[in-house]
Amino acid sequence: MPPLIVVEPSTDTPLVWFDVAIRGGASADPLGVEGLHRHAALLARRGAGTRDRAQLDETLDSLGAAIDIALSRDAVTLSGLALARHLDAVVELAADILAAPRFDDGEHARLLRETPQVLDEIRDDDSALATRWFDWLCCPGHAYGRTSLGTEASLARIERAQAIELWRREVVADNLVVGLAGDVDEAQAARLVDRLVERLPRGARVVPDTPVPAEPRPGRRAILVDKPDRTQAQLRIGHLSVRYGDPDTPALAIAEAIFGGMFSSRLMQEIRVKRGWSYGAGCALRRSRLPHWFEIWTAAGLDVAGPAVALTLELYADYAARGPTDDEVDFARSYLIGAMPFHVATARQRMQLAVRDAVFDLPAGYTARLPEALGQLAVGDVRAACARHLHPDRAVTVAVTTAAQAEGPLAGAGAGDLTIVDHDEY
Amino acid sequence: MALSPAASRWQLEAEAAAGRGVLARRYRLDNGLGLIAAIDRRAPIVSLQTWFRVGSRNERPGATGMAHLFEHLMFGQTESLPPGELDRLVERTGGETNAATWVDWTYYKMSLPARDLELGVRLEAERMQHLVLEPAPVEAERDVVTNERRERVEDDVDGWLDEQLMAHAFTEHPYRWPTIGWMEDIRALALPDIRAFYRTWYAPNNATIVCVGDFDDAQLRELIARHYGHIAPAQLPEVPRVVEPEQTRERVVRAPKPIATHRLLVGYKAPGQDDPDWAPLEIVSTLLAGCPSARLYRRLVIEKEAASSVDAQLTPFRDPSLLRLAVTAVRGFDADAILALLDAELAALVEQPPGAAEVDKAKALVETDFWSALVDVDGKAEALGHYETALGDFRRLGVIAERLTRVTADDVARAVRGYLIAARRTIVIAEPEPDQGGDDE
Repeated sequence: MPPLIVVEPSTDTPLVWFDVAIRGGASADPLGVEGLHRHAALLARRGAGTRDRAQLDETLDSLGAAIDIALSRDAVTLSGLALARHLDAVVELAADILAAPRFDDGEHARLLRETPQVLDEIRDDDSALATRWFDWLCCPGHAYGRTSLGTEASLARIERAQAIELWRREVVADNLVVGLAGDVDEAQAARLVDRLVERLPRGARVVPDTPVPAEPRPGRRAILVDKPDRTQAQLRIGHLSVRYGDPDTPALAIAEAIFGGMFSSRLMQEIRVKRGWSYGAGCALRRSRLPHWFEIWTAAGLDVAGPAVALTLELYADYAARGPTDDEVDFARSYLIGAMPFHVATARQRMQLAVRDAVFDLPAGYTARLPEALGQLAVGDVRAACARHLHPDRAVTVAVTTAAQAEGPLAGAGAGDLTIVDHDEY
Repeated sequence: MALSPAASRWQLEAEAAAGRGVLARRYRLDNGLGLIAAIDRRAPIVSLQTWFRVGSRNERPGATGMAHLFEHLMFGQTESLPPGELDRLVERTGGETNAATWVDWTYYKMSLPARDLELGVRLEAERMQHLVLEPAPVEAERDVVTNERRERVEDDVDGWLDEQLMAHAFTEHPYRWPTIGWMEDIRALALPDIRAFYRTWYAPNNATIVCVGDFDDAQLRELIARHYGHIAPAQLPEVPRVVEPEQTRERVVRAPKPIATHRLLVGYKAPGQDDPDWAPLEIVSTLLAGCPSARLYRRLVIEKEAASSVDAQLTPFRDPSLLRLAVTAVRGFDADAILALLDAELAALVEQPPGAAEVDKAKALVETDFWSALVDVDGKAEALGHYETALGDFRRLGVIAERLTRVTADDVARAVRGYLIAARRTIVIAEPEPDQGGDDE
């Protein structure tokens, strides 16, 4: 079976984008070998066909082009950008990366030395650090909680042979979703996709064994990630929710917008506008193939970190219990339906949404057709979805801040038992 | 179609391409208001941006952060809109609002469904004239801004490096203070001064409306004339031209931070964006760290494994600014070791200037960047607004792109010799605090 192909022609600019999504992603990393998908994909990009890393970089740069690796929980994506006049040459290089990566031994060892440096950079970035800890602790046992980067310990277990085997197993035509957008027509695109996949081995689509705990742990928990000299607390609050594409997705999109998806949302109004406690506050249902987090975020000054957590949990509990008002649902529905043209305005946006829908095993056009579903929802549908999927009683709170100042206020914020960890433990 | 009376109040001043199949026209209303209109009907949306020729350069010491504070206040109450109403009206359409402030400009952005363009014009005209600046909302936004500063500077080592670089690289020019303002200044900005700043700078003859998207040109001009035509121009103050004294010796700043590894930010004095030397230096910037095969990246990250990231940026400011090189070291390499490697590579660049092939590589990358910035209506509007406001003419977008295509290897060699001079650089170093590990591998 050929890869699923999405083509969005447009002559707005002389540029072409292409995405090759390889189903699998970080959630399919073996337990204890977290970081393997990222490692394999980056290694493949560091030399392929007749070119070593330096030659591949030099050739791409000389064409004004780029081929980058993006990693999500559900897929590894090879993303290309090329001037249309060089598209054939750039696609040939991408085909080499897919079909004939060198997996150079020296680059393998170098990448294993480099990745811990990325961990250091995350530890220096409070927002990224809060997200890393929240992902890990939100729902223990869930495959989406596995770090896509890995840890110092898991990186030490990665072997070159594992990367080669992963690539051989997952980079097969049936496991790919390919999209092209920009200054390319459909016939040219079809020819280029053939070039991308013609040298790939046969193989079955990968269906990762991705554990999702059936019943999240009850009760609230709080983790203070202790880092010196902070003036704020970077906060993440949330729990396991549903997959993107669940029948309640349209209703939850409205619920999300009302609580934290707009400037007019409850969180932004209560935390930023009324109290000035933070530059921003919001929430999102993480879009993924399997059930993922409902996550609230904000960053509050140290002096108000405790009250900010307490207020957020109070607002969330009230929202989950009562649901939105009729006016709020009307407003959010109008916002979301009106906003869709901005999400599909460019050929690249349309292609990327279509590729994502395919990776999530959703019907073609699922996201683009969401406004139709939104238009048919009653207020009761949204309230029922809130009751089913918002669980303030299970909320996990992660705060990256300085324990000496924040421990007392956070312990008294009603977020559950507080555990303190050092910021560079993970 | 019959012309409305409003049409006679507009003067067409200039036109030029703003991407494939998109023509941008600049009109001037008789009260001085500028309009750049560029029709792009590929999606039923518009980007409506209002650019003001006021940025942090127009502030004074002790009152820094004023221009940026307005980026917040302008979303507040007006004489006809209660607090929060502006955002609610725009969000109900599916649109979004935002704003940005930098050294040379401030702009307000509305992304709107095409059918709601009139709403956007009405709201922008309202807040240009009738913003209500009362103590309570000003204090609330002051708190938000102090939290924004904590997040972006106090608790962010890269934000701190940026701020320190400008503060030490410039001794006289207003580029020396941060756009968000010093914390003590943000806390001290007085309401009478805030009101005076609004009356001084928020006027039609200090603004350019940029509209890109799906609209009718004549109807847009009629709409804008109707909502803005009655606003009187302001007496804009003379802005003294500050010339930064020539830097004659290297400046170095160091401070401990709770970070894992050393970070450096190096700023070499560079020309303003409209200077003919800016294009060859942009090529130098790309060749140093703008791509995976760039010289500094290869040397520091790949060959020496001394750094985890290297970045170069030539800041697009009106007045002379900086070519900035940012390096994050890895454990085992301190800032001095990185600096030695950096100096060796820059010396090699002087001794062995790039040949034609290397320069062509950078030009290809810059061409891709140029088109990438013009992919959507917001990007086109931002490019037009920046060149119009920072450099005085949106057509500089095309002029500078053309200059970049004509850069030669000789130009690059001359730029390297002329600007990458140690005595004219400032270095800011963040070092791990003693208990943060650092070089303990």
